[in-house]
Amino acid sequence: MFNLSYRYDQTAARLMVEGLPDISAGHGQGVIGILSSWKLQFVGSPELEGKREHLEAMLATVLPYARYLLSGVARPFGDADSPVSLAPADNGGHQLELRSSKPGVSPLTIALDDAELADLVRCLDAMRLDSRVQIAWADQRDRPLARRELAERVPLMKRLAPSVMGGSALLVVALLSALVPLPESKQPKQEVVPTESAESPGNAAQPVPKAE
Amino acid sequence: MTDAIAPPVLSAASGEAIAVVNTALDRRGLERLDLLLLTVEALAINGGEVMLWATQQLGYESLFPNRVELWKRRCTNPLRRSTRRTALTGEEIEALIRVICAMADRLYPMLHQLLWSREPSALQDQRWAKFDQRLRDLIGERMNLRRGSVQRLLETESSSSVQRQMVITLALAAGAGGVDRLRASLQDPTP
Repeated sequence: MFNLSYRYDQTAARLMVEGLPDISAGHGQGVIGILSSWKLQFVGSPELEGKREHLEAMLATVLPYARYLLSGVARPFGDADSPVSLAPADNGGHQLELRSSKPGVSPLTIALDDAELADLVRCLDAMRLDSRVQIAWADQRDRPLARRELAERVPLMKRLAPSVMGGSALLVVALLSALVPLPESKQPKQEVVPTESAESPGNAAQPVPKAE
Repeated sequence: MTDAIAPPVLSAASGEAIAVVNTALDRRGLERLDLLLLTVEALAINGGEVMLWATQQLGYESLFPNRVELWKRRCTNPLRRSTRRTALTGEEIEALIRVICAMADRLYPMLHQLLWSREPSALQDQRWAKFDQRLRDLIGERMNLRRGSVQRLLETESSSSVQRQMVITLALAAGAGGVDRLRASLQDPTP
């Protein structure tokens, strides 16, 4: 059986996958169901190659990174143990790091700019959605980000600034108001009202003239 | 920046039949959607006409039968000078997202040129300056300049980062998986 090979070209990136039809899954001729190898080439960078698990790791790292970048959130994907990691670089680009499963091989780092990243994403998209490559990739469904994740795109200082300013203003107002002397409390004057006898003059018993 | 327009071959970005998806967007999503369409217009010569042609190629004649109807839908952006209160239907939003992705696919060589750091910096500056001028003209012509967020789009300090983000968004929305990615991004909640 012939080994099949498909190539996905962009200006700065080229992805090539090789494999065979999976007869047990009913694939026809010309469909890759079993991936034997893949190669990725960036202009001016060494060629990368690997097995299916490395390509899966590439998909699981690059596509979510692109999804977050689309929402303005540049955050790293893939930790130090994963075969592929992608993180924003200090110069505004992106740093793709590939770790070999062979012991003693140091990781390979490739600096990508925005155009090369877009090329890589297009190559990966074209491959995973190609009807001639029928491999059960991990689910890469794009979803809206959570509010908490979106907050990450605003720098911490900028996020905290309103709270800090508000708190400071409150503190200043509280201190200033503490310095203002309290007004003296004035007791209302109590006028001394002469107490009158219980019997009012009008009610005083009038002397009854004696009948002569 | 080349002003040539790619040959007229258009299909759904994924190459599959266009499924009817009811998409809902909040106010910020609508603003971004229209700003992306405006960015496309700034990048493509005669962008409005090309966009209308793209809607027909994608099979949206019933939704946007003519330029005026397309214009009315775009005026649902609250930042527009003459904004319309009529809400977009899910089908219309989905159609506009697919139009953006199809246009981004056509304009991809230009987007790539703008983003490629290996190009000579003088040439890059010239391309960005031309794009900046055209986008500013369109914003000044169509948007409500009294709105703070529109003024921020025109401020020199903040405008370059917004413009770059728009170009990156279009570059990542072009291609087979771009529609799903852009739709999800436009549905982000307001932080």
